Amino acid sequence: MDKKVPRSNIIETEIPMGTVHPAALEPYRVRFFVEDEIVQEAEITIGVNHRGIERIMEGLPVEKANALTEKICGICSNSHIWNSCRTAEMGLGIEIPQRALYIRVIMGELERLHSHFLYLAHGCEVLSHETFSMRVFYLREIVMELLAMIGGNRVQYGCSVLGGVRPRCDLDEAKLLRLKNDMDAVEEGLTGFVERFLADSVVQSRITGIGVLPQKQAIELAVTGPTLRATGVARDLRTTMFEYDEFDFNVITQPDGDVKSNLVMRALESFESIRIIRQAIANIPEGKVVNRDWEMVDTDISESYIEVPRGTLYHSYALESGRVRHCIIRTPSMANIGAMQYACIGDQITDAQLCIVQCDPCFTCTDRAIEIIRR
Amino acid sequence: MGIKSFSRARAIHVMLVYTGGCNGCDIEIVNSILSPRFDAEQYNVFLTWNPREADVLVVTGPVTHLNRKPLEAIYEAIPNPKLVVAAGSCALMGGVYKNCYGDIPSEEIEGPVENIIPVNAKVPGCAVRPQDVLAGVVSLLPTLLDAD
Repeated sequence: MDKKVPRSNIIETEIPMGTVHPAALEPYRVRFFVEDEIVQEAEITIGVNHRGIERIMEGLPVEKANALTEKICGICSNSHIWNSCRTAEMGLGIEIPQRALYIRVIMGELERLHSHFLYLAHGCEVLSHETFSMRVFYLREIVMELLAMIGGNRVQYGCSVLGGVRPRCDLDEAKLLRLKNDMDAVEEGLTGFVERFLADSVVQSRITGIGVLPQKQAIELAVTGPTLRATGVARDLRTTMFEYDEFDFNVITQPDGDVKSNLVMRALESFESIRIIRQAIANIPEGKVVNRDWEMVDTDISESYIEVPRGTLYHSYALESGRVRHCIIRTPSMANIGAMQYACIGDQITDAQLCIVQCDPCFTCTDRAIEIIRR
Repeated sequence: MGIKSFSRARAIHVMLVYTGGCNGCDIEIVNSILSPRFDAEQYNVFLTWNPREADVLVVTGPVTHLNRKPLEAIYEAIPNPKLVVAAGSCALMGGVYKNCYGDIPSEEIEGPVENIIPVNAKVPGCAVRPQDVLAGVVSLLPTLLDAD
């Protein structure tokens, strides 16, 4: 595939979108430089959402800071608290009970399901196919109610604590049975959706070959997560995480890097998540869910990477008399902004928003670094 | 009931503005209005993204510094009568972000929403439950319909 070259010197029209725009729920600003309705260059500006969460975490007791990381993002809140606890556990050398690891994996995969369903629904909505969008939203409600059943809240569950999971999130027989039955329902619904989605020739012609991100470019832009796997690179951090050692799953890839690849990629990955949850339900070990037997010591900066629905999430901080110091968080959407800008180039302006949405943007997580210029 | 109220009662349009929270309330609200499970359309409540069409403005998030002007502009653009629902603890009191620098007030957060535009109904929760948002919007309907 030829390399697409951004051309900013011969610009005919500039079309700004944002900061509040109907197709993108979150506030961000994007400028399209357009010539003959073809986007020549796109420029995404973030920083509208900046709240300074790393600054708030600085100096907080580590338990409080863990709870606060949930407020970074309302979509992948469990991933943040999971990774934040994991960072402290790595630094302090806390041993986590096997049952707690299984519950964390179940929560992580449920979250991946709801995030991918949100992506599919939002993608269909931007495609203006309301029926598909509604069907996926309806399916997503099953997953949301499962998350509410385990965590007690529909969005921020606070599942992980230092040394395991909250006792409230322990799974008894009835909960496991409901989880098992609902996974069957979700799989059935998703299969129906994917079959109809792939058979719909109108939708397929609308999304095939749109917003292409070539593999070479994706690697060059350091794209992460499903957006990278949709260009054919089989790179999934779950294969290296010790939590997933006992689970059998495939790393899904798609060849083209266009909108179709991205949508199909997320749908197929959801089936793998269902598979992992089923294995976890079948093999969940007995025992306690939280290990309280550890001591707080000062640590050096410890860091942890996990695979979250959108890609690689990085947390790092040091502990100083039980408080968080030098906190750095890097969310996957930060890496994918380059992909969003690149995917727009060479497509019609009408497809530009679709090209951005195909990279699954979450600007809420991303907006944490800001440069304040005082005049 | 005037002809305006008569027609308005059949199509209440809700606009959602998101001013920098954690995205949780935002998606819950889009779900409650959009998704078939909670189905706001059974109460003749529809989601719109055009402030000129809107009757009710739902605001989520603590208003960050850069979001203040867009929020004011959107509020100005809505025709009278207009009502505002502040949803979520960030919109009500700034949430966890408001006092992020200890005693020194944060320069990033302009909220709560009350500081910027008048608020008619408050929906608490972190994150808000879709049922509560529906109840909040529906509780405003008499005020809206008696307006003219």
